Amino acid sequence: MEKLLAARLHAVKVRPYLADALFALHIVADRSVPTMAVDAYWRCYVSPGFVARTPVEELAGVWVHEVSHLLRDHHERSERYAREHDRHGPGERLRQNIAADFEINDDIYGDGLPRPTGAVLPSLLRLPSGMLMEEYLRTASMSSLAADLAWLDCGSGADGRQRPWELGPAGAHGLTRQQRDAVRFRVAEGIKGEPGNTPDGWRRWADEVFHPPQPWRQLLGAAVRSAASAPGAGENHTYRRPSRRSASVPGVVLPSLRRTPPRVCVVIDTSGSVSDAELGSALLEVAAISRAVGGRRDLVSVISCDAAAGIAVPLCRAENIELIGGGGTDLRSGFVRALGSRPRPDVIVALTDGQTPWPSEEPACRTVVGLFPRPAHAVDETDPDYVPDTPPPWARVVSIGCGRLPDVRLVGGRDRVQGAALTGD
Amino acid sequence: MTRSTLLSAPAPAAAAASGTGAQLALADDLLALLRTTTTEPRPDEQLDALALAVAADLPVLLWGEPGIGKTAALTQLAASLDLPLTTVIASVHEPSDFSGLPVIDDDPAVRGVPMAPPRWAVELVRAGRGLLFLDELSTATPAVQAALLRVVLERRVGELRLPPGVRIVAAANPRASAADGWELSPPLANRFVHLHWVHDRDVVVRGLGGVWPRAELPRLAPERLPEAVAFARRAVCGFLEVRPTLIHRLPSTETRRGGAWPSPRSWEAALTLLAFGTAASASREVMALLVRGAVGDGPGLELLAHLDRMDLPDPETLLADPSSAALPERGDLRQAALEAVVAAVGARPERQRWEAAWAVLVRAMETGAPDLLVAPARTLAALRRDDWEVPQAVERLAAVVGLARRADRSVARATAADAGQTTGARR
Repeated sequence: MEKLLAARLHAVKVRPYLADALFALHIVADRSVPTMAVDAYWRCYVSPGFVARTPVEELAGVWVHEVSHLLRDHHERSERYAREHDRHGPGERLRQNIAADFEINDDIYGDGLPRPTGAVLPSLLRLPSGMLMEEYLRTASMSSLAADLAWLDCGSGADGRQRPWELGPAGAHGLTRQQRDAVRFRVAEGIKGEPGNTPDGWRRWADEVFHPPQPWRQLLGAAVRSAASAPGAGENHTYRRPSRRSASVPGVVLPSLRRTPPRVCVVIDTSGSVSDAELGSALLEVAAISRAVGGRRDLVSVISCDAAAGIAVPLCRAENIELIGGGGTDLRSGFVRALGSRPRPDVIVALTDGQTPWPSEEPACRTVVGLFPRPAHAVDETDPDYVPDTPPPWARVVSIGCGRLPDVRLVGGRDRVQGAALTGD
Repeated sequence: MTRSTLLSAPAPAAAAASGTGAQLALADDLLALLRTTTTEPRPDEQLDALALAVAADLPVLLWGEPGIGKTAALTQLAASLDLPLTTVIASVHEPSDFSGLPVIDDDPAVRGVPMAPPRWAVELVRAGRGLLFLDELSTATPAVQAALLRVVLERRVGELRLPPGVRIVAAANPRASAADGWELSPPLANRFVHLHWVHDRDVVVRGLGGVWPRAELPRLAPERLPEAVAFARRAVCGFLEVRPTLIHRLPSTETRRGGAWPSPRSWEAALTLLAFGTAASASREVMALLVRGAVGDGPGLELLAHLDRMDLPDPETLLADPSSAALPERGDLRQAALEAVVAAVGARPERQRWEAAWAVLVRAMETGAPDLLVAPARTLAALRRDDWEVPQAVERLAAVVGLARRADRSVARATAADAGQTTGARR
């Protein structure tokens, strides 16, 4: 026991931001546990024999490993994965455990925390590191590994399947869902407060754990929809014509529902820095959305724009729009061109990587910016001091293509059903 | 195909009119049997949260996939609260159904144009009490949403004012499943307590078997009312003093639009909910659902963490009587309590208090894991003044010192190994 606690102290010392989580674990000694395992209620089951034969510094690594399963909510995510893909057998759970280990092991060790012997790494299957558990599950079969690793068992905290030695939800010293959320929240806030030498993996986790990235398609759709249906465009009520219900209630003035199809103008950044595939998917999305809000295809026009803006091409005539451009970007000319077209658009959707100057004044129509994320160092080579402006506050900004795996980082199971719906995407 | 066969089937039977009647009566009997369900008291956090918010007279917005049982839950709630349920499907109405229909009289220039309320509102006012259920809120047009603002906030429908006995609950489909929905505007979203409605497998199976969970109004303990209000005020005000930036924060990103966000209005809702929850001795789980639903996840979780800290034993009490100190069971909370004790001594360092703090640490060691004590013990040791003698009790903390040394040695070994690896790599 003393050795185990010394190992926990070691872990706290080299990973102070995990201290709250490590101390919140309740230790249960049990001879039937193969090594060390956690359950979903933050109990940590430990085999005395395993502790006796493992050096303290390796035990510290195991502590951090097990607590990472809990912080990253692997049990909930495994359950969700199993439900969605209808995969429940013990072999499948082992795969999930391995994939969860891959997600954890690639960046928690080192820096005073030796990797325990037998820790599995994605490189075993020649997989890239830095992916999420779900991505590993989708891409790799792991059948070659499963036979060697049958002893590997991190408990239901890693894969959601109850083990015989576990105390279950009713047992003593379990944490409730809200308490678990509270601990995870405190750890995340701690990491965000002092990001100094925290590994990237943990920092990303802290950023996303309570604000999961959402699928950009839905966000872009919502932004375009709300821009297109705001007063002045789209479907809304009007007193300009009497309602058809008016005939039955004489003396009462009823509004009627009228549809003014929104005109959407898409300004596309065709500078060299944006890939065709990115543009194609985003453009198709805008067309589909504007159709959904009642716009006709002929009301969607496209301007390709690098340093100079091309002409507005109605989408109906251009099944395959030829995107002309390359080179530097100045989206301002695109905005000028879009606002100058007659009839004037109700919504401008700008698809860009953001490496561009923006109009200094708010345009006379609603603006949605679809932003392709770029690493911060991707600056103009000719001018090393050039820092691109962020999109102006009057635009609704949706990051495109960063909604990687929207279904996995939802808050503590609150959105269980919603999460399931998102994966259909 | 099946449909057409079904439709054509009654034709030959029409001759025997009495036979059809009997069959229909039997069908009615069967339906009546199917619809006879009972309720049972059953712990259900989301239902408790809903009942508590309804009792606190705050508008609730249920987010959930279509067909998940939101309407069924509300029917149950209305039945067990003995309130008549009025369902208004927002998406099929016009703004005038909520703001009132202009009716042109003989002399509008002199007498003005009255805004006539719709019948459901008149009946609701006549009944004086009831549960108003606004369904499909997220698919209502922006103009209808704007009109609903007034219903939800000012409780006005046209010229009518909804009586205090009327409670408002709304339902909306989440963005992912609302194929052609509108976003909820932030002002409207801010007026609701957002609850995410998920189906519980056990509840559904048991319900289809004929037994649904019973929604019960929270039982408010009359003697706890003043205390509950004081607690809620202390919690929310104390928290906002520390985190003033959270008082008002309009959702800035697309992700968080249409959900709960912090504003003075929603903080007031959180305060009300805390007071009701305290007076009704609601579980922390239920309170958490409600607080996060009122002010949003981030601020809600921060407030809950603040409540956790408020729950910690008072350091001065622990110092006053170390031998009977009751420390939290959970390791992280226990360590926080011990650190608070040490901090209290640091704030007013006196020999007697310093010794009492050691006694608290000894007590903690006797009742729980010793590794929690290392950090507080180090800080406390550093507070020593030259003329203070180390108390006898400290000897009993020798195990803690040993543990700390062991951990230090292990860290040293690991860092040495790290350094060896890097130099090895360089070579």
